[in-house]
Amino acid sequence: MKQLIEILEDVNPGVDYNTCTDLVDGGYLNSLSILAIVAELEEAFDIVISTVEVTPKNFNSAQSLWEMVLRLKEE
Amino acid sequence: MLPLSSYFSLLYLAILLPGTVLAYTVLPQKYRRAVLLLSSYAVFWLVSGKLLCYLLFSTISVHHIGLWLENTQLEANRLLETAPKETRKDIRARTQQRRKKIVAFGIAVQFGILLALKYGAFFISNFNELADLMKVTVKLPVPSVILPIGISFYTMQAASYMLDVYRENIPADRNLMRLALYMSFFPQLMEGPICRYSETAQQLWDAPPMRWKNLMLGLQRILWGIMKKMVVADRLNLLITEAFDNYVHYDGFMIAAAVVCYTVQLYMDFSGTMDLVLGSGQIFGIKLPENFQRPFFSRTIQEFWRRWHITLGAWFRDYVFYPISLSAPIKKLPLLLQKRLGRTYGFIFSSIPALFCVWLCNGLWHGAGWNFIFFGMYHFALILVENIMEPPAVWLAKRLHINRDGILYRCMQIVRTAVLFCIGELFFRASSLKAGFAMFKKIFTDFTLARVKDNTFFSHGADKHDFLIVVVTLALILAVGCIQERGVSVRQWIEKRNLAVRLSLWYLLILFIVIFGAYGTGYIPVDPIYAGF
Repeated sequence: MKQLIEILEDVNPGVDYNTCTDLVDGGYLNSLSILAIVAELEEAFDIVISTVEVTPKNFNSAQSLWEMVLRLKEE
Repeated sequence: MLPLSSYFSLLYLAILLPGTVLAYTVLPQKYRRAVLLLSSYAVFWLVSGKLLCYLLFSTISVHHIGLWLENTQLEANRLLETAPKETRKDIRARTQQRRKKIVAFGIAVQFGILLALKYGAFFISNFNELADLMKVTVKLPVPSVILPIGISFYTMQAASYMLDVYRENIPADRNLMRLALYMSFFPQLMEGPICRYSETAQQLWDAPPMRWKNLMLGLQRILWGIMKKMVVADRLNLLITEAFDNYVHYDGFMIAAAVVCYTVQLYMDFSGTMDLVLGSGQIFGIKLPENFQRPFFSRTIQEFWRRWHITLGAWFRDYVFYPISLSAPIKKLPLLLQKRLGRTYGFIFSSIPALFCVWLCNGLWHGAGWNFIFFGMYHFALILVENIMEPPAVWLAKRLHINRDGILYRCMQIVRTAVLFCIGELFFRASSLKAGFAMFKKIFTDFTLARVKDNTFFSHGADKHDFLIVVVTLALILAVGCIQERGVSVRQWIEKRNLAVRLSLWYLLILFIVIFGAYGTGYIPVDPIYAGF
């Protein structure tokens, strides 16, 4: 989780990722930052994130992103 | 047969909507959904007549594709239960391939119909011109077809349903009537919003009971929409039509004024229609997605498109931008480009293919014409430049100690965004791309205030009185927008006032429309602009 938050802060600084729960719905992440996060997560955690996973539900908070990463790692 | 031209017609406001509300209120729940479906098909029939068969075909075929996709997956799941471990991967891959072909077939059928009906004439006439240029003696007959109303909107809904079933975001709907209602719900049939199955299908099927509060809130929003349309959009129509149709006779100031007026008209017409559409839905307790979020408060073009025609932008983002950006070959681009351009620019430049496709589709979606393609490409270029310029702009602001969140800087950004959008609208409304460029050129080469000085400017369909009414109404809408931007719901505020205040506000709004609405002799109401797309 710590590594994930570091990635988020690196890609899109200026947001409190420990508390924010509307990263997509609140407009904190735009399409470009989402693409950057996908690329960084894929490389850092050796996973493949498909289009189906790019939903506000998965990208709205660091916690939901982390849950997605864990699920994809298991698969 | 009585023709239905728009949601603002008396036929809709005085007969269809009240009739449906009445039937919906008195009938028990199990019949309410049938009332909604029958009214939806009645609206479609009144606008497009026999072309209703296109909607019926789309609904039935989409229903079938959904079931086909799901049954293929279920069949594979059954096989997987008993299959040896080493063959499971192969079964999964084969199933995925098969489902991909099914969804591709479904999409090809839906968009094939749209392409043939909407773009057939455009492609063929361009082919003929090209053949002419190359001195080839081939002349294909250019078809003349009438589009079924809302085909661009319901095709997008059909595609999103199939893709969501394919992605297993939603289960396939085995109930044809529920799917039919999702595809055709009458308030959103002509001009959207483009709904997702997961947002509206079940709401419509549940057909919630009629509530007094919903009825009042819905009517309130409908009145607000009527005000935008009748007081502002219709009032500016004559001036805009005159200036765009006969631009050769007018100077740059007149053209610039017509472009600004057209942008205002388009916003008032489309957002006013959305108020009416969402208000109609609210009467039945149905929450349709918002399509506008005060776009003229946007600081960038990207933000503008997140606030303008929101459901169309979201559709292109989810079904075009992400699938292209996350496809295997494009996915490799950021890492390759990062080495040469650094991370920020690596991502910006790797987004070009997807961004280009989105804006090409966006332009074409609005119409079959080179000016629409140019409109799309113009916004593609603006967004790309915005992305490229953002890092140096941040750096420069830091060096010059400029507060980018300060009121002055924000206002400057808002004005710049509005001006850039207006320029795009010039080409959007122009009769052709050539006419668009000629008008744009005139703004700079033939700019004179002579018509204002001798007052002839006010004799082309909108006089001083018209402009005063438009400005006052826009000031009112702007004031409401400013309050909403601060997160305050004006409608909830009104809701909490006592009956006397609420009745007075209702009375004032109705009176305002009756007195200042542009109707009767001397006015031609603007056709529903987005219904034409």
